[in-house]
Amino acid sequence: MRLRPLDFVALLAAAAAVAMACVSAYSPKGGEPFVVVTAPGGEWIYPLGEDRELEIEGSLGATRICISGGSVRIESSPCPNQTCVAAGAVSVPGQWLACLPNEVFVRIEGRGAEGGVDAGSF
Amino acid sequence: MREASERRLGDKADVTALLGAFCFFLSAIEYMVPKPLPFMRLGIANLPILLAADLLPLPWFLVLALVKVVGMSVISGSLFSYIALFSLAGTLVAALVMWAARRAGGRLISAVGVSVLGAVSSNAVQVLLARVVVFGEAARLIAPAFLAMGLVTGTLLGLFAEAFAAKSSWYALASSQLAARPGEGRDEP
Repeated sequence: MRLRPLDFVALLAAAAAVAMACVSAYSPKGGEPFVVVTAPGGEWIYPLGEDRELEIEGSLGATRICISGGSVRIESSPCPNQTCVAAGAVSVPGQWLACLPNEVFVRIEGRGAEGGVDAGSF
Repeated sequence: MREASERRLGDKADVTALLGAFCFFLSAIEYMVPKPLPFMRLGIANLPILLAADLLPLPWFLVLALVKVVGMSVISGSLFSYIALFSLAGTLVAALVMWAARRAGGRLISAVGVSVLGAVSSNAVQVLLARVVVFGEAARLIAPAFLAMGLVTGTLLGLFAEAFAAKSSWYALASSQLAARPGEGRDEP
């Protein structure tokens, strides 16, 4: 049997579809990382690149969150143990901050410094 | 082939029923073959549909596609689950694509091209559906493997169908009878 002209067109079209799927799946999409804040009152998303101060109402009171210079930290919190404030600043997608007593959860999402090293030791 | 001209295959409904039964059988074979991922199939149950693209008018062709979906779902036990939805969407879109390709392509396209188009469009629809129903944004990560699988299995199935159509006296009989008597037989399902 012989392949006919449109067979090659079909094969090429299918191969092109596969190639496009590969590009969309494996190309590192720039996409600026963003900050996702989850609280009892809802969920908010902010770009990590823009500096701003947030007041998020939790179950105990307002948690103050500061996004600045590409990192995010919890500035103050009404919680008793202040673990969230002590956690400091996070800046890489995948990192997060949580205040359990106040039920405020902050995480960074999006693609970015993938494949980077978390920590090094000598 | 000597007495082929005296043998009658019956009308379009009979051919649809026979090919539908064939779908059931191949679904059972398909089900036995281990799959790397739940939705990844060989697609051998599409062989009768591929053959029918030449033989049946669109209404009967779609009936056959539905029979295939039901048969496959019954045999894999997924008739009343969302997996049947995937099967239905993929099969119907693939059936329409294959029928259109077959009829529009005429002599310029063989079963290989028809089969590849059908397989890739079926898998593409299922990926899109998976994006909505199950995986969300992550669906695009499974898309390459899925579409590549469609390309490979579609090509193989097309080669087989082409060889089958060239050799089978039943197929030759069916295509000559169904083509020769377009007005005869029950035309609407």
